[in-house]
Amino acid sequence: MPQYILLLYDDPSSWRNISPEEMQKAIEKYTAWSKKPFTRGSQRLAEDPGRVIRMQGNQPRATDGPYSETKEVLGGYYVIEAANYDEAVKLSLDHPHLAYGGTIEVRQFFGM
Amino acid sequence: MNAPTESGVLLEHLFRRQAGRIVGRLARLLGPARLDLAEEAAQEAMLKALQAWPHQGVPDNAEAWLFRVAHNAAIDAIRRDRVLGEKKDAIVAELTHSSTIDPADPDFEEQLRDDELRMIFMCCHPEIPRDSRIALSLKAVGGFGVREIARAFLADDATIAQRLVRAKRQILNRHLTLDMPRGPELRCRLDAVMEVIYFMFNEGYAAHEGEDLIRQDLCLEALRLGRLIASGSIATPRAHALVALMALQTARLPARVDEAGDLILLDDQDRSRWDQQLIALGFCHFDRSMAGDEVTEYHAQAAIAATHARAPNLQSVDWPVVLELYDQLLEITGSPIVALNRAVAIGKVRGPAEALAIVDKLAVDPKLRQYYLFLAVRGHLLLQLNRRSEAAVCFREALEGRCSEP
Repeated sequence: MPQYILLLYDDPSSWRNISPEEMQKAIEKYTAWSKKPFTRGSQRLAEDPGRVIRMQGNQPRATDGPYSETKEVLGGYYVIEAANYDEAVKLSLDHPHLAYGGTIEVRQFFGM
Repeated sequence: MNAPTESGVLLEHLFRRQAGRIVGRLARLLGPARLDLAEEAAQEAMLKALQAWPHQGVPDNAEAWLFRVAHNAAIDAIRRDRVLGEKKDAIVAELTHSSTIDPADPDFEEQLRDDELRMIFMCCHPEIPRDSRIALSLKAVGGFGVREIARAFLADDATIAQRLVRAKRQILNRHLTLDMPRGPELRCRLDAVMEVIYFMFNEGYAAHEGEDLIRQDLCLEALRLGRLIASGSIATPRAHALVALMALQTARLPARVDEAGDLILLDDQDRSRWDQQLIALGFCHFDRSMAGDEVTEYHAQAAIAATHARAPNLQSVDWPVVLELYDQLLEITGSPIVALNRAVAIGKVRGPAEALAIVDKLAVDPKLRQYYLFLAVRGHLLLQLNRRSEAAVCFREALEGRCSEP
C-alpha cells in the first residue's frame, strides 16, 4: 500500500493563549490520531528556523532556514498508508491540526 | 521513529491542576513580581508537551515532566535577564534544585500545598481590586485560561484580561509578598480568602445555562480551595462551615440537571443521584465547624444543606428546622434571596397562603420582583392555592424574568 506524508504547518504563536485545559485536550486529540490504524509514524521538528544549504558559486553555503521570516512553519509530520491521494486526503480530513488552524500538505512517498 | 506508547491517557484536568502548582512554585522561587514569568514558563512546558507527547507518548511521570520543563524554561529566562545581577546565580541554583521535585511524591505534596496556600492569600489580598481577586485566583492558582474565566462570568476576554493586568499591577506597586500573614492579620485575610472562594462557588452554582460545564468546574475549584485552607493549621470553624456547605451543595449537582440540560428544582430531584462521597465529606467538615460558638452565614447555609442531605426523600425533610435556619440566615445576611427561600420553607411548614403573603410583601423590592425565581416561587404558591390563571401569568413572566440575582 502506498505511503503518504502529511506535513503539518502552523503558526506557533497561535498556541500562546491556549489554556492548560485546552492544551491537554489538544494533546489527547493529536495522540489519538497518531494511533489510528493507518498511521505508520509521526515526528515533530524543532521549533527553530533550521538551516538551508545551497551552492553559492562553487561552495555550498548554509543560511537560516525558510521560516525565519514567515509565520507558518513546518512543525511536524505524520506518515499514513492509503490506496491513493483521494483516500489519503479523506483520511486526513479529521486531523485535529486543521481544527486548530494549521495547514496539512499531503505528499506521496516513493520507494518505501 | 518512535511508536507512541499505549499509556496515552491523562488524568482529567491534569494540566489545569499542574499549571496552578507550577505557577505557585515558580512564583515562590522567583518572587511575586515575576508572576508573568512563572505563568509563561508553565505555558512553555505545556506547549513542549503538545509537541512531544503525541509522537513519543506520554511520559511515565507526566507531572514531573511538566514540572522539570517549566523550571528549565524559567532558568533560561532568568539567565537571559540583565537586571538581576548577582542575585541571578542564587535564583538559578534554587530553580535547579526545585526542578528535581516530583510533584506526585507525597513528601513534596506538603511543600506544594504551602506554595498554593501562599498564592491564594496573595491573590485575595485586600489591596487587589475585588473583581480582580477572583480572576487572579482562578488564573494563578486554578490554572484556568482567560477565555474560560470569561465564559464562567459571562464577560468578554478583554474585561478579564484587564482585571488580571490590574491585579498584577497592584502586586508590583504595593510590593505584595507571598508571606503568610500572622496574628490578628491572618484572621482578616482568611476572611477575605473565604469571601472569594464563596463568591466563586456561588457563581458556579447559580448556573443558568446547565450544559456549560465550566460552571461546574468553578464549584469544584472553589471546593478544592476551601479544602486547602481547611486542611492546614490556619483552619477555623468558619472555614470548615464553608467547605461543608460547598461539599453538600456540590453533592446535588449530578441530580440538578436533566438530560436536556434544564435545571431541576430541589423538590423534583432524584436524591439517589446525590454524590454520597461529597455528602460524607460535607458532614465531616460540618462536625468540625461546630467547635466554638460563632454562627456565621456559612454555618447556617451548611446546616440547611445538611438537613436536606439527611432526608432520603422530599417527604422526610425536617422543614421546621429548615425554617428556623432560614430565620437565622436572614438575620445574618438580610439578603432578599434568603428571604425568598425562607418563604418557600414557610410554605412547607405553615401552608401556601401564609407563604404567599410573605412573598407579596417581598415584592416591594423592584429588582426581586423581576427575578425569575421569585416569579416561579410565587406561581408555584398560587398553583397550590388553586389560583390557576394568576399562576399561569406568573410562570409566563418568570420565563421572561431576570436570571441574575438581584
